[in-house]
Amino acid sequence: MAQFLLETVWLVPCYALIGGLLAVPWSPGIIRRTGPRPAGYVNLVMTFLALVHSVIALFASWNQPPIELFIPWLSTAGLNLTIAVEISAASVGAVVVITGLNFLAQIYAVGYMEMDWGWGRFFSLLGFFEAGLSALVLCNNLFFSYVILEILTLGTYLLVGLWFSQPLVVTGARDAFLTKRVGDLFLLMGVLALWPLAGTWDYTELAEWATTANVNPTVITLVGLALIAGPMGKCAQFPLHLWLDEAMEGPVPSTILRNSVVVASGAWVLIKLQPVLTLSPIVSSTIVAIGAVTAVGASLIAIAQTDIKRCQSYSVSAYMGLVFIAVGVREDEAALLLVLTHAVSAALLVMSTGGIVWNSITQDINQLGGLWSRRPISALAFIVGGLGLIGFPPLGSFWALMRLGDGLWDKQPWLVGVVIAVNGLTAFSLTREFGLIFGGKAKQMSERSPEVHWPMVLPMVILLGFVLHLPLVLQSLSLLPSWVDLNKDVALLLIWSTIFGCSISAVIHLGNWQKPIRFPWKGLRDFFAYDFYTAQIYRLTIVNGVAQIAKFADMLDRLVIDGIVNLVGLFSLLSGQGLKYSTSGQTQFYAFTVLLGVSVLGMWVAWPFWGVQFLELMF
Amino acid sequence: MQLQYFLILAAALFCIGIYGLITSRNAVRVLMSIELLLNAVNLNLMAFSNFLDSTLIKGQVFTVFVITVAAAEAAVGLAIVLAIYRNRDTVDMEQFNLLKW
Repeated sequence: MAQFLLETVWLVPCYALIGGLLAVPWSPGIIRRTGPRPAGYVNLVMTFLALVHSVIALFASWNQPPIELFIPWLSTAGLNLTIAVEISAASVGAVVVITGLNFLAQIYAVGYMEMDWGWGRFFSLLGFFEAGLSALVLCNNLFFSYVILEILTLGTYLLVGLWFSQPLVVTGARDAFLTKRVGDLFLLMGVLALWPLAGTWDYTELAEWATTANVNPTVITLVGLALIAGPMGKCAQFPLHLWLDEAMEGPVPSTILRNSVVVASGAWVLIKLQPVLTLSPIVSSTIVAIGAVTAVGASLIAIAQTDIKRCQSYSVSAYMGLVFIAVGVREDEAALLLVLTHAVSAALLVMSTGGIVWNSITQDINQLGGLWSRRPISALAFIVGGLGLIGFPPLGSFWALMRLGDGLWDKQPWLVGVVIAVNGLTAFSLTREFGLIFGGKAKQMSERSPEVHWPMVLPMVILLGFVLHLPLVLQSLSLLPSWVDLNKDVALLLIWSTIFGCSISAVIHLGNWQKPIRFPWKGLRDFFAYDFYTAQIYRLTIVNGVAQIAKFADMLDRLVIDGIVNLVGLFSLLSGQGLKYSTSGQTQFYAFTVLLGVSVLGMWVAWPFWGVQFLELMF
Repeated sequence: MQLQYFLILAAALFCIGIYGLITSRNAVRVLMSIELLLNAVNLNLMAFSNFLDSTLIKGQVFTVFVITVAAAEAAVGLAIVLAIYRNRDTVDMEQFNLLKW
């Protein structure tokens, strides 16, 4: 039975997709009478089915060799597109994480979206995302990974744009689509250029090819740079990071997924492509540079935000930057571990703050405060999620960061500094959020803030339990290093950075300082608060450039191209208008033209015979 | 006597007729110019008939026909001029540019 379920684990995306489709009829325009709630329940049932299926499959896949399935999709001359499905412990484990987080986020959404009519649309998109993500992790083919990434880009557009009557939602969805689309298009260039080099898009075969590949370094560098552009956009890395900030306009339950899982889809493809990418040292160092810049920059930005959701979105960018660093230095396992621990912790953080926003309305952390005594469960969830995200020893991310730091220790020690700095800055930022939301005195907006109702608390508590148990799970999967191998220096540095970050932030934000905290140099504070003025940079460079070219092309089309064609018409019109005056109405004039015609024709006919004599006669 | 002189005379007469035909403002003078043209043609015909075909003189037969037709044409032409004159009270050719563009 378990074996059968393992071999049919490719059905999991189908469940989710069916769930998504079943939710559609409860759109307000179709079922008009009974309200949209069944859309959510149907989706929950299908997601639960998918979760149970994948969990059983995970147990069956343990210590088993990976199974590969091939589903032919299209076969034309010289090109066989076969959907390769890889059923290994890692991919099924990722499916479990995706379906599990989806299940929790959907329960959460049942509570959060209580006052909303758009369940049909919302839950069908959630099911769509679940299907796309689990298909992505099962798929073992670069081409189909690209296909799914593009479909998910469209899904992001629709999901961010759920409440499209708000103008900021519309611009946010637009930016999310276009930014990710640009990355995906570069990825497509890389995917297409990889075919003549490797002759395959199967990740396993690509890895084999990469071990013995002998290609032009310039070519592989360019291909590698194109291949990282897709994940760069997906993972909200610099400079394609603005979309994640603006995507925070979407509803919170989808934010849970976006922060934890969706951005990790790019990281997944990046990890899968690591053997190809590390063929070129330039690409490797580019990945590391992008990751490092994003990790440090986004951590600093996160500290300067006032919007609770945006504080967290920049932390997501920073952690994805760490994943980039890990891939750049060939620490695949550290990257996967970091994706896992970040996913659960980030989801827990968003659930906690989403509950705060649901009852306190404002998202401005300067208007919140003093919720610790009133909202203990949310506060505990925040604390555990935060500690699970930073290097706090027994919890998950500590081990992932340890692994990463350990791997970097001998290769590139300065990157350990980056990891330590990001950990410390994130610790500072999370403590700041905690201090401003839960600590201090209650402000006007948080004066009466009851704890949220059970559909939002339940998934939060379940996930809290999971984050707490994650070390045990990792240990049972023997993913934790033994005490002998433990790099004590890295461990100590991580712990100290955590302690420093948390305690300094706690002193500043929980102590009796003048709030809001004033940075001595206002320009620098604004620089981080407006995330390096990225929106203005986009507008000045790319957007402006494209707009100017578009205007110019439009002008060229209107004036020159259209003008030439119109000129032909105008010319014939004018010549008709002008030439009609040759019909003068004077009979004598007609006689004259007849005579003229006859004489010209006569001269023309006679010229060859008498022309020379005529000329001699004349001159 | 040579054929060319007759032909040049006829051509000159024809050109004078053409000049009159194109420049006259009086419609009757236009008809008169047409008569000049026809007479130039007749001169041509007679000259060719004498110098090239003196036995069968087909040119002279032609000339007789041209004279006849010219008389009829002049009669009809004058009739048209009269008809126009009745309507428009003038025989000025420049007043007759009604059928233009």
